[in-house]
Amino acid sequence: MSDSASAINLIDIDSMLSSKTPQEILRYALENHDNIAISFSGAEDVALVDMAHRIRSDIQVFSLDTGRLHAETYRFIEKVRKHYGIAIDLVMPEASKVEALVKSKGLFSFYEDDHKECCGIRKIAPLRKQLLTVDAWITGQRRDQSPGTRAAVPVIQDDKAFARPEDQLTKFNPLANWTSQQVWDYIRSNNVPYNELHDKGFVSIGCEPCTRPTGPGQHEREGRWWWEEATKKECGLHAVNIES
Amino acid sequence: MKITLVKKILADGSACKKCAEVEAKMHQADQFKFIDRVVLADETDPKSEGMLLAGKYNIDRAPFFIVESESAPAKIYTVYYRFVKEILNGQMTEDQELREIQDNHPDLDFI
Repeated sequence: MSDSASAINLIDIDSMLSSKTPQEILRYALENHDNIAISFSGAEDVALVDMAHRIRSDIQVFSLDTGRLHAETYRFIEKVRKHYGIAIDLVMPEASKVEALVKSKGLFSFYEDDHKECCGIRKIAPLRKQLLTVDAWITGQRRDQSPGTRAAVPVIQDDKAFARPEDQLTKFNPLANWTSQQVWDYIRSNNVPYNELHDKGFVSIGCEPCTRPTGPGQHEREGRWWWEEATKKECGLHAVNIES
Repeated sequence: MKITLVKKILADGSACKKCAEVEAKMHQADQFKFIDRVVLADETDPKSEGMLLAGKYNIDRAPFFIVESESAPAKIYTVYYRFVKEILNGQMTEDQELREIQDNHPDLDFI
């Protein structure tokens, strides 16, 4: 299928799925892809694991273990593994790359330049390697997580960044249209286990040195990489507004 | 093979920051000679050719490359370094590649 035809199909499917619940989107994803995995960050995206487990008990789940997560997050990942009786693949960075970074720039270089070099080595490279093994993946990304960018998070997308060469990788964001409040309503009402850091004021949870609790009225993005100036996101094309 | 570069033009007539960076890198590496056509996606005009192409290929960021050949369907590249690697057989470091992926996908911060 050409990129054009594929894109049109995904636009149609996105349009069809956009009005569906996260559970319906997940069901669609799991029924249409055998080799599909959930990316679980150890935060409130546990809601996805809970929903998916109700649909397919043998769901594949992986977490990016950057080596810098909070102890609470490691405990939580283990708790989720036992609670649902599932295997969670801990995907780790290449030791030689981490060693080279630490040797040349120390353990906290991200405070002096920016987080992207460290994230690239500890998170994005392992993610890319992991995604080469699947045909589709599921994330807990939501539109309300990034108010600074106008780019929408679609329910389904053709993931060109991580696809195998000459192949297609489909990315599902079942929580795209939900707010943080809706996710938490789900967690509370279904007695879903959650990361104890949330009770300590953490809204967004990432690596320990790069995450902090947020106060009332602060957006969750302010709990991550707070020392960096907010980047102006100006390259979005907002295809949803394009008349064809 | 025909290569089209689609770049975004802001309301003030300037190219978006990322588009300008990519263009500068291409000129520096003498790669711009491989571009057959540059199409503008004008943010003030949803019917501009670049915006229509973005809609056709379901692309939501600029710049992007359309690679067409007679023997194969059009291929779209939203990652510059991937385009360079696969189409221009260019060299790049993994660090450059990973950084560009993050620049293009700020949503990955929440993975």
